[in-house]
Parts: sequence; structure tokens; C-alpha cells
Amino acid sequence: MPLSKQQVSSLVQLVASTTPDEIDCDGCLDHVAEFAETLLAGLPIESAMVAVQNHLQNCHCCQMEFETFLKALSGMDETSE
Amino acid sequence: MPEPMTSDPWVEKLKDPTQQEEALTALRVRLVRGLKKVFSSGGESFAEDIAQDALIRILEKIDQFEGRSQFPTWAMSIAVRLATSQVRRKHFKDVSLEQFADGEGLKLDVAVDTLPGAAEQIEQSSIYQNLSELIDDLSDRQQTAVRAVLSGMPVEEIANRTASNRNAVYKLVHDARTKLKSGLEAAGYSAEDLTGSIA
Repeated sequence: MPLSKQQVSSLVQLVASTTPDEIDCDGCLDHVAEFAETLLAGLPIESAMVAVQNHLQNCHCCQMEFETFLKALSGMDETSE
Repeated sequence: MPEPMTSDPWVEKLKDPTQQEEALTALRVRLVRGLKKVFSSGGESFAEDIAQDALIRILEKIDQFEGRSQFPTWAMSIAVRLATSQVRRKHFKDVSLEQFADGEGLKLDVAVDTLPGAAEQIEQSSIYQNLSELIDDLSDRQQTAVRAVLSGMPVEEIANRTASNRNAVYKLVHDARTKLKSGLEAAGYSAEDLTGSIA
């Protein structure tokens, strides 16, 4: 079955954003806590964190996990039931 | 980037037998609270079970904590990965990888119907034509993995079905993307051209 138009667009986007030195999923996990705190504090993304940002852009799996992670962090310190 | 801290109160307590139980309880409460916020449909015990598994994993990995974030944030990243892995496993349990290897690979429809102008349409068609030819040179494993990813299957689940691991599948797809990008660059298309073609 041919790719749908949306899949072709996603593929082209994925190809366009490909860089030679991407970190893998475990590399992303190693730095994602720091990345989340940087993001939540509204601080600029430093060069070391750009690799995490790129990985999240290219890995749907880690991207979904990251969104879940941010929500979980917001609930971690809530005291009301 | 700041230098990693040499010690952290959480790490010290978790490593101290006289304080470990108290620290584990405090951390478990925070993990459960965060997990319940996200996985509320997973049943009352889901967050508790994941937090328990996460605490074991956190203690195993504690020497890898470098203090670049707050300890509870780092701990939660581990708990969320465990939780999402379990949810994904259930969600995709009946999905086979075979359906993404249908013998046609990543066949593209090159014809384009709605574009603002003729020049853009010609460029997009040309990019798709090149892409289609380059895809034929990808290995069967690469084509199957790329199609599965484009169909929304997480790399972790692809790995589970190929006796591989998440990092290896990510690399497999990355190598495919790199090959396609190099081929398109050799044909004269930059990353900006590609992005412009789907704008």
C-alpha cells in the first residue's frame, strides 16, 4: 500500500531534520530531566541540550514520553487530592 | 552547562541504610502522585506498581545520577519510561510488524494535486520521484521499520518484535534517513527545499 500524503510529508520532514550526530533514545533519557527543567524554567536551550531537542523532534516514541513526563512532573508536587 | 554536583541529599539518604527507608517512602509518594495525574485510567494500583518498580531501577542506576537536574525530576524520568513502556506493550499487543512489510516497501504516490503554483508542484513531484527511487535502495528491514514508524508504531515496539532494542531500531531508521537525505542532497535538494516542499 502506498504511503498516505500525511506519511509522505512526515517522511520528508524526518529526512530534512536528519543530522549525522543524533543521540539515541537512551542518550535522550540521560539528559531529559535536565532538558525538562530548563524548558520549564524558560531558560535558553544550551548547545548540549540541542541534541535532546533534535532527538525529541525525530523520535515520536521519546516525544510522547516527554509530554507524559512533563505532565507527571506537574503532578508530582501537587498536594490536593 | 554547570558542573555536575558531587553529592545530593537524596542520593546520600538513599545510600545510607539508616535513612534509606524514609527516603524511599518520600520518593514513592511523589512518584505515585505524578504518575496518577497522567495514568489515571490505569487503575488505582498502576501508579503504585510502577513507582515500586521504578524505585528498584532508580537504586540500580543511582550512581549514574550526575546532579544536572533535581533528583526527583531524574527519578520521575525513569518512572515515566517504565510506565509508558507498559502502556505501549498493552496498546500494541495485537499489532504485527508483518503488516508494514507488504512487499511494496515505501511506495510513494508521486502525483500531487493541491499546490499553490506550477513551479512548486514540479519541484515537489521531482523531490518525491527522487525519494521514491532512493527508497528502493533501502534494505527491507529499513523499509519495514520506516513504514512502521510513519504508521505511529513506537521504536520500542518495533524492537520488541525484531529481537532488537530501542536504540538499535532508532539507529536503523536514522541510517535510512541519512541515506535518503544524502541522496536528495546529491540530486540538488537541500533540507530547506525539502521543508519547503511540504509547507
